[in-house]
Amino acid sequence: MPEKPKIALFQCRWCLYAPADQEWVDTQLPENIHLTKTPCTGRINPLYVLNAVQGGADGVMISGCLPEQCHFKTGNMAARRQLEEFNDFLDYIGYDKQRVRFVWLDLQDRGIIQKQLAAFEQELDDLGPASNLVTRVKVAEGGQNA
Amino acid sequence: MPDLNAIRTEAKRLLAEGVVDVVVAFKAGETPLHPQPAFFRSADEVDQLVYDGLCQNNLATFLTRVPKQSKVGMVVRGCENRSVNALVVEKQKNRADLFLIGVPCEGILDWQKIVGEVGETVKSVKENGQNLMIETKAGYQLLERHDFLHESCKRCIHPNPMSADILIGEALQEGDPNLARTAVETFEDQTIEDRYAWFQKEAERCIRCYACRQACPMCYCEECFVDHIEPRWSESGATPAGMQGWHIVRAFHQTGRCTSCGACERACPMDIKMTYLTEKLNHDMREKYNFEPGLDAQTQPPFAAVTLDDKNRFSV
Repeated sequence: MPEKPKIALFQCRWCLYAPADQEWVDTQLPENIHLTKTPCTGRINPLYVLNAVQGGADGVMISGCLPEQCHFKTGNMAARRQLEEFNDFLDYIGYDKQRVRFVWLDLQDRGIIQKQLAAFEQELDDLGPASNLVTRVKVAEGGQNA
Repeated sequence: MPDLNAIRTEAKRLLAEGVVDVVVAFKAGETPLHPQPAFFRSADEVDQLVYDGLCQNNLATFLTRVPKQSKVGMVVRGCENRSVNALVVEKQKNRADLFLIGVPCEGILDWQKIVGEVGETVKSVKENGQNLMIETKAGYQLLERHDFLHESCKRCIHPNPMSADILIGEALQEGDPNLARTAVETFEDQTIEDRYAWFQKEAERCIRCYACRQACPMCYCEECFVDHIEPRWSESGATPAGMQGWHIVRAFHQTGRCTSCGACERACPMDIKMTYLTEKLNHDMREKYNFEPGLDAQTQPPFAAVTLDDKNRFSV
């Protein structure tokens, strides 16, 4: 069986999801998805995304709140400006734009995170594994950050 | 070329009258191709001040490296003036503590191109309008000035200092913004694999000397992200991941702040092209937010000026 695409999921701890969904994310997330919880999408430094990309993620999903629903008023706005530009920039130097996905989720929308992840995984499957910018030496090969 | 004597007279006046504590400008270097930045603290030192097309550094870099309270005079070209403005926006210096002697810039000459053309035995360089008269051991050579400009200067949009306190020399014609745009669009038109191959080829020559960071006026962080030990944000060795990460994030930290002076590229000992990265970010800032860094000393860059109005800009 071919390996599933590796996804790094950055989750804002305020926006997500109906309790059942949050429980699913916390406890039943498939193994190919790596979850990082942040206090707000505004806290996601572009370096986090870059580290995920360099470390071999086939896709990065960033889930944040809808406009005007940010716990910190404008955190998601700031994150959008920065991260969307960062995505454009990565595309400019060779990391496919489709591999970074933003989802701005409504608290009321049950089950949406599963649907979004499944759709994203399907698209990444079609794209194949990422090769550009995946340059970090694996720890197993003796590369504990040079 | 602006009148050197006029610049010296103004610098002398500033120091003699005590308007400023120090004038930052250039003095002659060890070879005619390398004038070097200098700090003039008294009026009699000012006779050593020079200004020509070979002055490579962006002097605004030194603004964050002199004591914060000191009053600084500075000889600024278009890009340096924009850098000063951007630093004032970021509250690194009070505009009231600055006196800017503006000189319209005809473009910085790339000494490596000159050496490549005439060899290393350059005795003197004279600029005369659109011509360069180079004296070497072998004799004199007449060159076309425009062919020896630095690449980022060929694309320069604002050669005139826009908020200098005094302008020395005639204001020049503004540059063509399309040149910067076409440079970015030509790069974007390549396939994604070609773009990555180019980026890889450039980034992986890096020796991690951080000359680009030191030359950049906007890189003034007390501790750079690559110098952090815990947490280690990026690999700090000359590994592929480290070199690429450095180039990506260094450029990205300049979003909405880079004034396209090209000092990073001129400082690079490995001759790595890197303005194509910041040009892209500047291009996006122009297209998306209609913002150009450093045009005035009040407007916040787009990443800092986030408001709730943004909700209309993005589709959910």
